[in-house]
Amino acid sequence: MDSVSTQQKSIFYPPGGILIWIVIYVELLTFGMAIAALAYYGSQERVLFHQHSQLLNKTIAAINTVFLLTGGYFAARAVYYFKAGLYAKTNRFFGWAIISGLAFLVLKIVEYHQKLEAGLTMNYSSFFMNYWLLTAFHWLHVLVGVVILFFIRRGIQQKKEKASLDDIEAGTAFWHMCDLIWLLLFPILYLLF
Amino acid sequence: MQKTLTYTYALLLVLTLTGALLSSFSISKTIVLAIVAFSIAKFLTVAFQFMELKNAHSFWKVLIVLYGCLIGGVFITMLY
Repeated sequence: MDSVSTQQKSIFYPPGGILIWIVIYVELLTFGMAIAALAYYGSQERVLFHQHSQLLNKTIAAINTVFLLTGGYFAARAVYYFKAGLYAKTNRFFGWAIISGLAFLVLKIVEYHQKLEAGLTMNYSSFFMNYWLLTAFHWLHVLVGVVILFFIRRGIQQKKEKASLDDIEAGTAFWHMCDLIWLLLFPILYLLF
Repeated sequence: MQKTLTYTYALLLVLTLTGALLSSFSISKTIVLAIVAFSIAKFLTVAFQFMELKNAHSFWKVLIVLYGCLIGGVFITMLY
């Protein structure tokens, strides 16, 4: 346990390994720049951004936030159970995390369908161009996250104790990164204008 | 550990619902500040608790806190 603690405290061994954290920071930087640009355009066209953000469905977005947070919670619990050697519980919680992610993806498709039906496409305004680009790019990340969780779960089912904690933590860190990005997109797109 | 995760999850839900409710009022400077503060608090809570950055080297902790402060600063500067 001491060696694990010492390893985790090393700058080269953040939870999940250094490579996934480099990926996470690159992703955060990319989305951060896009979000900063959105905030800048919003400050230049306050009235338009306010009017068009009111066309978004805040209830769906809030429910989607809950889905992602719930998925993150289940994934964190799954990692905890894996460390404790409780593989059945680990699989169950990863399964629930996958279901939460799928619920997010489906509800987002419902929201997209509503927007397309109302003619609120990418060409409608600069606000909607940002909305579609940012949320669609994030949607793809969540889809990749669900696939990663699926393979992690399958790996644990097949190998149990042979499954690597580093791989599981890295995959879960990617999943949590989707939470992090959404926690920034949700206020800027739906709440603040 | 399990309890900490559950309390963290409950806190995140409360902050999310409070932020969403606040936005239903007419947006004032105070409300913008509150929503941004809640969002950055949630961001850091997920990073430290769910991603276990609390167990990582200070470098990674400082980096994520700086990022959160930078994004929060951008939100406030542009929209306040």
